[in-house]
Amino acid sequence: MEQDIFVQCKGISIGYKERSKASSVVKSEISLKALKGEMVALVGGNGIGKSTLLKTVAGFQPPLSGDLLIHSQSVADYNSEELARELSFVSTEIVRVAHLTVREMVGLGRYPYTNWFGKLNNHDEEIIDKAIREAGLSGFENRSINRISDGERQRAMIARALAQDTRIMVLDEPTAFLDISNKYEIVRILHQLVNEYEKCIIFSTHDLHTAISMADRIWLMLNEKVVEGTPEEIAAKGYFESLFPNNHHLIFDAAKGDFNIRKEYRGVVKLSASGPELIVITKALERLNFEVLPVSPDETSSGFPSVTQSLRPSVSPSPDITVVQSADVWILSYSGICMEIESVEDLCRQVKQITIQPKS
Amino acid sequence: MKKEAKISVLDFWFLKGKGFFLLFLILVLFFIIDLLVGSVPISLFQSFSTLFHPASADPQIASILFQFRIPKAITAITAGAALSVAGLQMQTVFRNPIAGPDILGISSGASLGVALFVLSVGWIFKGLPLFSVAGSWGIVLAAWTGAGCMMFLIVLIASRLRDLMTVLIIGILISSAVLAVVSVLQYFSSDYSLKSFIVWTMGSLGGTTRDQLWVLVPSVLAGLVMAFFSSKFLDAFLLGEDYAKSMGMNLRHAYILTFASTSILAGSITAFCGPIAFVGIIVPHLARRLFHSSLHSRLIPGTMLLGAIVMLIGDLISQLPGYETTLPINSVTSLLGIPIIIWIIFKNKKMGAL
Repeated sequence: MEQDIFVQCKGISIGYKERSKASSVVKSEISLKALKGEMVALVGGNGIGKSTLLKTVAGFQPPLSGDLLIHSQSVADYNSEELARELSFVSTEIVRVAHLTVREMVGLGRYPYTNWFGKLNNHDEEIIDKAIREAGLSGFENRSINRISDGERQRAMIARALAQDTRIMVLDEPTAFLDISNKYEIVRILHQLVNEYEKCIIFSTHDLHTAISMADRIWLMLNEKVVEGTPEEIAAKGYFESLFPNNHHLIFDAAKGDFNIRKEYRGVVKLSASGPELIVITKALERLNFEVLPVSPDETSSGFPSVTQSLRPSVSPSPDITVVQSADVWILSYSGICMEIESVEDLCRQVKQITIQPKS
Repeated sequence: MKKEAKISVLDFWFLKGKGFFLLFLILVLFFIIDLLVGSVPISLFQSFSTLFHPASADPQIASILFQFRIPKAITAITAGAALSVAGLQMQTVFRNPIAGPDILGISSGASLGVALFVLSVGWIFKGLPLFSVAGSWGIVLAAWTGAGCMMFLIVLIASRLRDLMTVLIIGILISSAVLAVVSVLQYFSSDYSLKSFIVWTMGSLGGTTRDQLWVLVPSVLAGLVMAFFSSKFLDAFLLGEDYAKSMGMNLRHAYILTFASTSILAGSITAFCGPIAFVGIIVPHLARRLFHSSLHSRLIPGTMLLGAIVMLIGDLISQLPGYETTLPINSVTSLLGIPIIIWIIFKNKKMGAL
């Protein structure tokens, strides 16, 4: 199993060496690993040191202390060319070079294998073709990298890393600035590389949803420590909740695997409906800052629901509103008053009036 | 089958080499024209008969050709190739479309080196022949040192400040400061050394003697060979320092090789021809357009050939055919170059792309 551990951080500190005084440590005591055939998502808030960690793992800057092992060998024992054959890197930096075609740029990935003048042989050309195909860029070979979209350019950068033919790939926010379609395309390509070639791919992202649904392992950078585990383990231990300790407006929704904005609800509406109406009414009420809860079965069976005290007295002082659908008629009940409503618009108007009344 | 293969190989050779071959022909053409044009016009027939039968030729014309025109044309070719390749290297390494040896102060660094050398030698030895071969080597070494020190300073600044425009502005400022130091030095120098220094600053393409060519041409050839060997490094620099490192480039080796090459190229030309502005900035852009490539295995030879041609054209214009006088070459390259640079700046407003 030892040879399956591709990247291992043993209590490393990351940061920058400063000449004048002591080095400035960004984070210390980091112990993480990444295995063969794993997709590792690095998650953390802005400015917590994700890029610094990735740059350290990629060998750009040495760890200030501790051991960083690539294939069980200290990263310091690799020379630059040996490391480049084991690990490739895709940065957030946008490369703008006029008169450089996609193919020429991907060809630069063969750098650690070519001779002093960078001459590509037939074997190199085959690998370049394959990398372009796998990144879904067939037909773009002769386009200038300045004349393609951001998503295509990002895929071209990934193709360049593929041409480098390494077992480990490190990507710094590969999906930043991309629209949904391009974002999922990048994630799909990375996922395929992991499945097909058992590469070890480490990428940082702000998209928690992608991280939780696609990654085999999550490296989570919190303020006080760095933890790792499968998405399920991290969620179960409640680490996601401590990702943004200073922001009380965010709540982690474990079911969705993403954060939601915590709202100051005006009140609770209990809703009994099904089908498309359920979604439409829920959305409309949520937009009005009402918490929508399902009506419990005993309430619906009575036909005329009894007024229940608010389950969350701290949230809202106003009593619950209940909306029940019976046959073709919608009935809104509130403090013992029942009324029939005609449309979603009507419902919204009534609900608003009810919640304003207690103040006047 | 055999025939097909032969044709494709020929096609391949032509596709790859056509541009270079064409440029080489143009270079030869302008070289010959440059020999013919001047205050004393020489006909094509005269020049060929003098070149191939020097014994039976008109001694006056032979002297003009061998003592003046040929050294000047060779200097022009050398200067054009050297400055352009130096500019190309700087643009790639600094990823800055208007970087060049003159604008970032490498040429002024070389001037300072030469000034210190000429003035101190004049002060210490009271009459060492500066225009001998030994003196020429001294001047060239001083220019390399000055250029190299400036290069080092600019690299330090560029590593601190990532912004392209800021680096350019600071380069221009330092360049002015260095030139101010050079003028201050002139105040504290003896009459003899001041005279030799003034003679040097008036240097032009035509000012190079045949003895100096024996120093200039080998120096530039050495710099160009180093540039060829740095082409893979330069390709990696296109993607930025981080990517270059991640592809296994040894940053220190790359910097030492490219900057030594740039310092030798720019320093040598400044040492013998004085400052020649803007050629180093413009020619790499022309080469990129012409060869539709940013890869240096093609750009370096392309830039060399184009630079040599541009410099010969500049020299032809400075001759003012039909007039007795010649214009200083620096004025010609500035007048031609500045509009092109403004066009380059307008073309990529974001200053991001090479």
